[in-house]
Amino acid sequence: MFRSLRPKTAPEITLSINGHDIIATAGQSVWSAMALNGQTVTRRAALSGEDRSAYCTMGVCFECMVEIDGVPNQQACMRQVSDGMKVSTQNITESSEATNAGL
Amino acid sequence: MQAFDCAIVGAGPAGMSAAIELANAGARVAVLDRGQKPGGQIYRSVSESPLPDANVLGPDYTAGAELLTAFSRADITHFAGADAWHLGDDGRILFSHLGETCELHCREMLVCPGAMERPMPIPGWTLPGVMTAGAAQVMLKSDAMVSDGAVFAGSGPLLYLIVAQYLRLGVPVAALVDTTPRQNYLNAALMLPRALRRTELLKKGLTLLAEIKRSGIPVYRFAEGLKVLGEENATGLQFTTKGQTHEIAADTVFLHQGVQPNLNMTRAMDLEHRWNLKQLCWQVVTDPFGQTSVPHVSAAGDGAGIFGADGALITGRLAALNILHRLGRLTLAERDRQAAPDLAQITAMAPFRAFIDRLYRPTDALRLPQELSTLVCRCEEQTLADLRAGFDRGARDPNALKSLTRCGMGPCQGRQCGHMVAGLLSEWRDERPETIGYYRLRSPQRLLTLKELSRYQAASAPAQTEAAQ
Repeated sequence: MFRSLRPKTAPEITLSINGHDIIATAGQSVWSAMALNGQTVTRRAALSGEDRSAYCTMGVCFECMVEIDGVPNQQACMRQVSDGMKVSTQNITESSEATNAGL
Repeated sequence: MQAFDCAIVGAGPAGMSAAIELANAGARVAVLDRGQKPGGQIYRSVSESPLPDANVLGPDYTAGAELLTAFSRADITHFAGADAWHLGDDGRILFSHLGETCELHCREMLVCPGAMERPMPIPGWTLPGVMTAGAAQVMLKSDAMVSDGAVFAGSGPLLYLIVAQYLRLGVPVAALVDTTPRQNYLNAALMLPRALRRTELLKKGLTLLAEIKRSGIPVYRFAEGLKVLGEENATGLQFTTKGQTHEIAADTVFLHQGVQPNLNMTRAMDLEHRWNLKQLCWQVVTDPFGQTSVPHVSAAGDGAGIFGADGALITGRLAALNILHRLGRLTLAERDRQAAPDLAQITAMAPFRAFIDRLYRPTDALRLPQELSTLVCRCEEQTLADLRAGFDRGARDPNALKSLTRCGMGPCQGRQCGHMVAGLLSEWRDERPETIGYYRLRSPQRLLTLKELSRYQAASAPAQTEAAQ
């Protein structure tokens, strides 16, 4: 279970993660805002659709790709939270793409 | 567009020390870095730690603040949050910055892409809750975030450091599962006499281990047959030691077995690489000053060969001295005179590095996947069985296997599976890694949207001041 040791002095902002309104600290990474609020599934694997979550948190594994404000493939570990940001688990798989294409 | 004298990619210890050296000598320097603040992975957030007391991270970390201060005082054009995705041997760099595509030109280029952790493909390593020990460090440094009751498994100084940091912070640790094989201690012992010349480093390591032992957390040594338990999330770690199988319950499993150069930038530039037999990884070929097979491209720091943060600081400075010579600002004799102490320091550090490399050399059983159902390519979900089938169908090298199975074709562009795929092919063909080769990589080295590509911005070097001329 993830926990923050940050003293509560930094300015707070509100963002939405998978439809839940969440209070976060300015300057915090999107991944940490997700993890501290129990939203650890960042994306679904492209073929199997299995849950995936952050692995390296330094930008080299691309497991933490989420959708931010409607734009997919954003690395949650490399992005910082901002007020009003909308984050959601990335659900782009082979089958979802086939459905979108009307197949 | 006004060209920079030198553009540096990466603002870790190597990039920062090089930039300071170049700027102080009057060269116009641009530094491109993905981070919002300089420091790289090692000195992440050192200037503004979110922790109540950053001293728990140790003096090696807090010492980075000095370097950051010198960097901020020097006359450097620093692009923070800049992701370089094309480095041309014509001196052109394309990068993403603030949602735009930017271009700059430079006479000399220095790449400092840093290290990444060596993937540890044990069964279940793709389950949510399995992360690297480096991730534990990054989360602690940038976000003051910890995971209570985690298991730490693997081998190497970074693993022991993060466990000690957790313990100092009073964060419960379920267990340390050490995979360093008995044979490594025996082999490394032969190298100990020479390494002992650096007693302070050895002492530092022993102090860490003693700190962990004193804490009383369960420590298992000589662990083998590691497997992450769980169906949808990690629920624990299973392993065998001294003939007994253990299961430790934990919702977070941090894995580590050393670091390797982050190759994508140097590979995409088609620079010459060699297989490092002692560290079991690829690295770019350079001369002692970091100059690569393309003369106006240099590389420094762990991205050019693993040597640690102290080494990175030195190799960055050496690269800068050679670049100053190439720019006509230092004579060859002056370059060599100024470089002498740093070159001597590198020589003095080598035996200890060799000892650490030998002691913590990863075993093939952990470096390469062992079970047919284990995913090798995380992005395209290719298992060991899939890759073996591709090999049996005639794919003999990494690029052929990529074409046939899609391994290495996903968003990480082979960063995770590259070494494993080359290692497997080397084993199956019973040939040296040099013969097997590596994925052929190309620009762009990141995911780009068309919108971003359509927004173009030229980044010109500042006009030369009279004092600098």
